[in-house]
Amino acid sequence: MKVFTKKVVGLFLVLTLIMSLTACGGNDAGSTGNSTDTDTSTDSGSTDSGSTDTDTDSGADAEDVTLTLWSIATESDAFNPAYTKAIADYEAAHPGVTIVHETFENESYKTKIKTAVAANDLPDIFFTWGGGFSQAFVESEKVMPLDDYYADFSDELNEAALGNATYNGQIYGTTYSTPVSLLFYNRKMFDERGLTAPTTFEEWKEVNQAFLDDGITPIGISVKDTWVLAMTHDALTLKSAGPEKVHNVLTKTSGSYNDPDFINASASLVELIEMGALIEGAAGLSNDEASQLFYNGTVPMYITGSWMAGSIYTDSETPEDFDLAPIPVLNDANAQITDFMGGASDTLMVAASTKYPEVAGNAAFELARSVSKYAYLDGAGVAAWNVDYDESDIKPLVQKVAQNATSATSFTLWFDTLMEAGDAGEYLALLQELYIGNLTPEEFAEAMADQLGQ
Amino acid sequence: MDKVMKNKTAIILFMLPATVLFVSIIIVPIFMSGYYSLLDWDGMTEATFIGLDNYIGLFTSRSGGFVKSLRNAFILAGLSVTLQLGLALILALALAKGRKGERFFVTVFFIPVMISTVVIGQLWMKIYNPQYGLINMALRSMGLDNLTRTWLGDQDTALLAVFIPLLWQYVGYHMLLMYAGIKSIPTSLREAAKIDGATDNQISRYITIPLLKPVLQVCVIFAVVGSLKAFDMIYVLTNGGPAHASEVPSTLMVSRIFLRNQYGYGSSIAIMIIFLCFFFAVLIKKAFKTEVD
Repeated sequence: MKVFTKKVVGLFLVLTLIMSLTACGGNDAGSTGNSTDTDTSTDSGSTDSGSTDTDTDSGADAEDVTLTLWSIATESDAFNPAYTKAIADYEAAHPGVTIVHETFENESYKTKIKTAVAANDLPDIFFTWGGGFSQAFVESEKVMPLDDYYADFSDELNEAALGNATYNGQIYGTTYSTPVSLLFYNRKMFDERGLTAPTTFEEWKEVNQAFLDDGITPIGISVKDTWVLAMTHDALTLKSAGPEKVHNVLTKTSGSYNDPDFINASASLVELIEMGALIEGAAGLSNDEASQLFYNGTVPMYITGSWMAGSIYTDSETPEDFDLAPIPVLNDANAQITDFMGGASDTLMVAASTKYPEVAGNAAFELARSVSKYAYLDGAGVAAWNVDYDESDIKPLVQKVAQNATSATSFTLWFDTLMEAGDAGEYLALLQELYIGNLTPEEFAEAMADQLGQ
Repeated sequence: MDKVMKNKTAIILFMLPATVLFVSIIIVPIFMSGYYSLLDWDGMTEATFIGLDNYIGLFTSRSGGFVKSLRNAFILAGLSVTLQLGLALILALALAKGRKGERFFVTVFFIPVMISTVVIGQLWMKIYNPQYGLINMALRSMGLDNLTRTWLGDQDTALLAVFIPLLWQYVGYHMLLMYAGIKSIPTSLREAAKIDGATDNQISRYITIPLLKPVLQVCVIFAVVGSLKAFDMIYVLTNGGPAHASEVPSTLMVSRIFLRNQYGYGSSIAIMIIFLCFFFAVLIKKAFKTEVD
C-alpha cells in the first residue's frame, strides 16, 4: 500500500511539473516586479486564418502573416481599449494578418526595449518615445525608415506631428496622440473655498496657502516614479524660460542651463516644497498610489499628462468634480500660458529586422490612425491624426484637453525624452537630489550645465 | 569505480557537458564583459575604445555614486554576517536540541527563502507605506505619531528599511545549513560533555560552534558575496533611491546601462563586483583557515 501511494504521489508531482512547464512556455513576454498587471497576449479574436487567397494589402501577401506588437498599454493603462479596438479593426480589414499584442509596464519597458534593440530581439512593431530616447535606436540602424509608408497617409496626418519621430531628415516612426502636461484640479474643493485655477505662480502660491490653512496638502506628486516630479519641474522651467531657450539648451544647440531663468524655475519648485505644498511621503509613493489620493479627493491638484483626463472617468467615483487648466506662468516675458509641455511623444516604430516590412510599415500607420481615433473617443489622448468622426460623445474633460492642445502656441517634449539618454538619466538623478534638499537650485543648474557640457 | 577514475578519456567525456556549459555561460560572458568595460558604448551603436577610463571614473567621478554604493553593500555585508548569521545560529542551536516540532519549525523558517524576492518586496512595500502601512498605523495607534516616517522615501531610513526584508528572507537558509551541520556532529561528544557537567550554553560555545566552523565559513562567504551582489529586493523597494540613498553596485549598474545607455560603464561595475566577490571569498577562506587549521 505504501509503495502504491508513493507511486501515485510521484506521478502526481511529475504531472504538476509538466503542466507548469507548458503553462509558462506559452507567453514569453517578460515583466518585472512593480506592475500588478503583467503581460497580455491579446490575439484579438481573429480566427479566420482559414481564409486563404484574400489579397490583403498592397504587398500581395497571400500567406498568413503574424506581426508582433509591443506596447505599454497594459490592462490598467488608459490606452488599452484603444489598442485592442485598433487591432481588431486592422485584422478585420486585413484578413490573413494577425497581430499579437504584448504589453509591459511603463518603467520596466524602458529597460526591455533597450535590451531588445541591443540583442536584435525586436518585434515587428514596437512602442517607444520620440526625441532623444530613440536616437540611439535610429543610429544603430535597427529601425526601419517609414517615409514611403507615410506617403500613403500624408493627407490624414500632419507632418509636423512627426517632428519627434524624424531623425536626420527621415521619418522613423508614427504617432497617435499629442498629450500635454496640465494642472488637474478638484473644482469642487476649489469652489468650496472660492478659489479659481491659478494662471501665475503668485496666484498658485496663494491657492496653495489657502489649502494649507485648511489643513489640506494641495499638490499630489510622486518622486519615486521620478518622471512625475520631472513633469512639474519641466513645466515650471518651460513657463520660466520659454520654449525656444529650453529647446536650445537641452538639445545642446546653444545657451547654458546655468541661467537665471532655469535657476528661477528650480527655486520655485523648492519654494513649493518648503511651504509644504507637495504631499508628504512622495518619495515613497508610486504614480498610481499618488494619483489615487487625487482621485479620492484627498489632494486637490495634480500635474501630469493629459491622459489623466481619461483616468479620472475610470478611477474616480465623482468625475464631475474635476477640471483642468494650463500650468501657471512664472515669467511672462518668456512664456505664455499657451506654451505646453508635451507633443507627439508616443511613437510606434518598425524594426529593421522584420520579416514583413511592407505589411509592418503599413500596419504601423493604420494602427496609429485607429489608436488616435479610439483613444480620443475614450479620453485617453488628444488625436494627432485628422478627426473626421463624430466628436459629440467625447467627455467634457477630454474636450477641454483638446481645446487646450489646439490653442497651443508651442509644444516642448518632456525633458527626459527630449534629451539623450545619458543627460536624461543625470537630470532625473539630480532632480531627486534637488527635491530632497541635497542640492540648491544654483548647484542643480551648475550640475546640469556640467552634464550638458555647457 | 577505480577503473573509471583512472581512465582519462572517461573522465574527460563525463566532464565535458558540464565544462562546456560552465565555460560558455559563465566564463565567456565574464571575459566579454571585461572587454566591454574598456569601451565607451551604449550597447546599440558604435563603440569607442577608452581603456581604463571607466574604472578611473568609477572611483573619481563625483556624480558616479559607485563609492557610495560600495559603502552600502559593505554595510549590508556587515549586517548580514552579524545580525543574519547571528540569528540563524541562535535558531539552529535552539532547534537542533531535539525538541518537539523541530522539523516543522525548520520548514517554517525556511519558507521566506522559497518565496520570490519580488513578492516579499511588494509585501514589505505595503508594510512601509506611509499612509496605511502596518508600521505607521501601529505607531499612530500607540500615539507615537512623530515617529512615523516615509520609511522607503526618507534618505536616513531608506537603507535600513531596504535591508530588513533582505536579511529576514535568508535567515532560514543559513539556519538550515547550520542545522544540518550541527546534526552531523556526533552526539557522543555532546553526551560526554553533559556527563562532565557542562551546561547547554557551554556545550554550544566550546563544542558545537568550533566543530561548526566549516559550515560557518560557507555561510559567511554566502552572506558576504550575496550582499555584494544584492539586487532584486532593493530594485523592487526603492530602485536605489531616494537620491542614491539605498544604491548598491548592482542597481547602479542597471540604471547606468538601461537609463543612461552606458553599457561600457555598467560592464566595468560588473567586473568590479566579480572581482570584489572573488577577493572576499578568498579572504574569508584564509581567515577561517588560520582558525580551523
